[in-house]
Amino acid sequence: MLGFALAVVLFAYSAVGLGLKGKLPPGLPVQLLVFAVLMLAAHLVVRRFAPHADPLLLPLAGLLNGLGLVMIYRLVQSGRNGNHGLQVTDMSTSATTTQLLYTGIGILAMVAVILLISEARVLQRYTYTLGALGLVLFALPALLPASHSVVNGAKVWIIFGGFSVEPGEFARLALAVFFAGYLVAKRDALALAGNRVLGVDLPRARDLGPVLLAWAASLMILIFETDVGASALFFGMFIAMLYIATQRTSWLLLGVLLFLAGSWLTALLFHHVMERFTIWLHPFQGSNPTGIAFQPVQALEGMAFGGLFGTGLGQGQPYHTPLVQSDFIFSAFGEELGLVGVMALLLVFGLLVQRGLRAALAVKDPFSKLLVGGLSFVLALQVFVIVGGVSGLIPLTGVTTPLLSQGGSSLVASWILIGLLIRVSDSARKPAPQPIQDEGMTQVVRAA
Amino acid sequence: MNRALLRVSLACLAMFVLLLVNINYVQAFKASKLAAEPGNIRVFDQQFSYQRGAIIAAGDGTDLKIAESRLIKGTNTYRRYYPQGNVYAPVTGYDTIYSKSGIEAADNDLLAGTSPQLAVHNLTSLLTGKQKQGATVELTVSPAAQSAAYGALASDGGHAAAVVAIQPSTGAILALASYPSFDPNELTTFDGVALNKVDHRLLADPAQPLLNRATQETYPPGSSFKIVTSSAAYSQGLVNNPNSLVNAPEPLHLPNGHDLINDGGEICGDGHPAIIQAFLLSCNTAFGDLGMKLKAPTLRKYSSQYGMNRPLSIPLPVVPSVLPKVNGWTDPSLTAFSAIGQFSDEVTPLQEALFSAAVANHGTLMYPHLVQQVVGPGLSVIQRTNPQVLSQAVSPTVASYLASMMSEVTHNPSGTAFATAGPQATGGINIDGKTGTAQNGLDNGNLDDAVFTCFVPGINGQSSPIAVGVIVQGGGFGADAAAPIAVRVIKAYLGAHS
Repeated sequence: MLGFALAVVLFAYSAVGLGLKGKLPPGLPVQLLVFAVLMLAAHLVVRRFAPHADPLLLPLAGLLNGLGLVMIYRLVQSGRNGNHGLQVTDMSTSATTTQLLYTGIGILAMVAVILLISEARVLQRYTYTLGALGLVLFALPALLPASHSVVNGAKVWIIFGGFSVEPGEFARLALAVFFAGYLVAKRDALALAGNRVLGVDLPRARDLGPVLLAWAASLMILIFETDVGASALFFGMFIAMLYIATQRTSWLLLGVLLFLAGSWLTALLFHHVMERFTIWLHPFQGSNPTGIAFQPVQALEGMAFGGLFGTGLGQGQPYHTPLVQSDFIFSAFGEELGLVGVMALLLVFGLLVQRGLRAALAVKDPFSKLLVGGLSFVLALQVFVIVGGVSGLIPLTGVTTPLLSQGGSSLVASWILIGLLIRVSDSARKPAPQPIQDEGMTQVVRAA
Repeated sequence: MNRALLRVSLACLAMFVLLLVNINYVQAFKASKLAAEPGNIRVFDQQFSYQRGAIIAAGDGTDLKIAESRLIKGTNTYRRYYPQGNVYAPVTGYDTIYSKSGIEAADNDLLAGTSPQLAVHNLTSLLTGKQKQGATVELTVSPAAQSAAYGALASDGGHAAAVVAIQPSTGAILALASYPSFDPNELTTFDGVALNKVDHRLLADPAQPLLNRATQETYPPGSSFKIVTSSAAYSQGLVNNPNSLVNAPEPLHLPNGHDLINDGGEICGDGHPAIIQAFLLSCNTAFGDLGMKLKAPTLRKYSSQYGMNRPLSIPLPVVPSVLPKVNGWTDPSLTAFSAIGQFSDEVTPLQEALFSAAVANHGTLMYPHLVQQVVGPGLSVIQRTNPQVLSQAVSPTVASYLASMMSEVTHNPSGTAFATAGPQATGGINIDGKTGTAQNGLDNGNLDDAVFTCFVPGINGQSSPIAVGVIVQGGGFGADAAAPIAVRVIKAYLGAHS
């Protein structure tokens, strides 16, 4: 499986070179070798320390990461080194190497997760520690001055020196652990207590506290960090986990209502949120295509230009779309690999989510079940939010495409998530332990 | 918890299904609509990144390139060139970074290679790695006739004018020139600012060089419309043959109290001339009287049979030539003016050529067309124009009567065009025609437009080789200003095809 994933990446990488210049890219052996070694190392660690883990998880994630690398390489090359096209100005020439470096760090982080956490449920001990850490990570950019926290209008960064981290990506993981721990402890109260009104079981007022807190927190992210996407993912994850823990539809309804109310409120209060709706509904109206809707219009026209089979890697014009290397990388795949290519990508994502949910279903420990269920759902939600936004299905919110987009924080966080999935799937598929006693042996008493 | 997890799984599945449906919608279903969005940079870039098909004037049997794309040295970009510039501009049109006109617009999908007819070829070149290429459009235009046409218009003292020549038996357009014209090479720049400048200059020019007068502008036909009135009179039995007598008083008293007079107030014969006599002298009162007897709807019916009152596509769009149903059009006093090509009658120079073409082709009007065939990049013919009948204007008998009357116009020493299109003027070439000197403007305050429509009759049972229509705006007498232009076109064409 892994070999197959590596082969696909190798072909894609070669295709970029052929598409751009008609020959194989010069850095091909080195970069591909590094990637292959990283993946093989990860594979060996998984085989050794989580031998029962789902064998599809690593190859699927590796395939996505590899294709992301290929697309980033292709976008860096555009307009540089004598290649046709326009330069993607906000990409440095070393973006491929940097992304490869982050791939390495991400895989190391995944290995660390697998080595350090022998069973996912040990994390339950750190429920409140991680909860606090998550909140701090989320809040930090809002508290920092703009010069240390704002990139492209989103106040979601911590920037010191030349180094920048998007703490929200990690905060989401920490909070997933917190939610899982908290909900496992409180789920009976949340699930059972309550009054029945109009056929719906309403929760008790005091149990509403955490829900409202999560809602408020996501609104805070939205207001102070102007990050609609992160806020939606955060709240969506919380509601999904709450539902899994309690199985009560009332929580789901409440969550959806709160989400709609929050969106409506912020759309009224904040111009930029309202603008997203305008762009979504009328991308081609009036001066929108060259003004506020330039980016989504470029993405849509790019994807349409790709059509069924795409222009071929290196032969499209994805560089017209601003931020094509991060939020809009999916549109670049749409343009150059065509409908068939992006359908395949979506199926890979879908498979990854499905394997995660399967592990959640199979694992017995409720904490692990909740954690992995929530993480798998948030992975699906993230793909839905960004791909839906790029392809015009829903209003656009800036989140990264997991494993594909340029950006270290997102990549490392994604690999940690994969690490947790591998760990839990290992627990889930581990055969029941052999009984320690062997009665036949112990009872043998030989009188000589 | 597993029940809830299963539901969450279903929600995830639903999200992925929605995404899959949506990208199918964007990349397959809506793709061509998105490609057609104005300002689509990718489509814009792509259109100059491969070789657009050439446009060729093939009417003389040899190919003359009148539009072609050449690779700009050191780039991957092709630029459009129009080797014949102004002469063919009304035919080729232009292909700028923003818009297209002429054949460039009308046959864009073939020239650009996006036509479904080229799909198989495009697929093969995709597989073989060959570059995509547009198809070549071969026109019916005769380079000899076209250059004579433009030359004649340009040397006519700066009047705005247009001439169209047609092969009557097929409808193939042999020449289509408009003056003043423009150089489409000026519009092929990729520099948007420079292009805007040229565009503004051309649009602001009072001479309207961008206007294709041959197809897009209408003028009163004047006396040339007497062909239509005669057709109606013969066909409706008001006159039986060219020697039938008609009523031609001087002046003709109209029911509304006004008088219709002949040009210069001259008497038309003895006041009861044969129709052929009235035709060669171009008596207004004789045809005004016939028109009142025929009534407006009948005149309109015959004008429609000559291709009027409807838009045409050659495939350049042609504005309708009209005998319009304006307020009071059935009033006999106004119909008398309609019958001599005045009042609200308006025709294109192309329509002038169609009048003669129908007569020359024994009453059968062929649909005029510019494209002879379209040749794919693999030199296979992917489209060929088969001559089509536009309408039966008149019966062959009536056509022969009309031909004999038009012959008198140029061969009878009293005929209006004897001096300028008669055998002495043409060096022995037989031309049958009809002049028109059309009053126009508010209260006829403008200079008269000179109109001439004619054809060369077929010899020994052969079909007529060419019919020509000319309108010179403000040119004065049709015989003086318009007929010599037609003669030059005919001479050049017959010279190249003898």
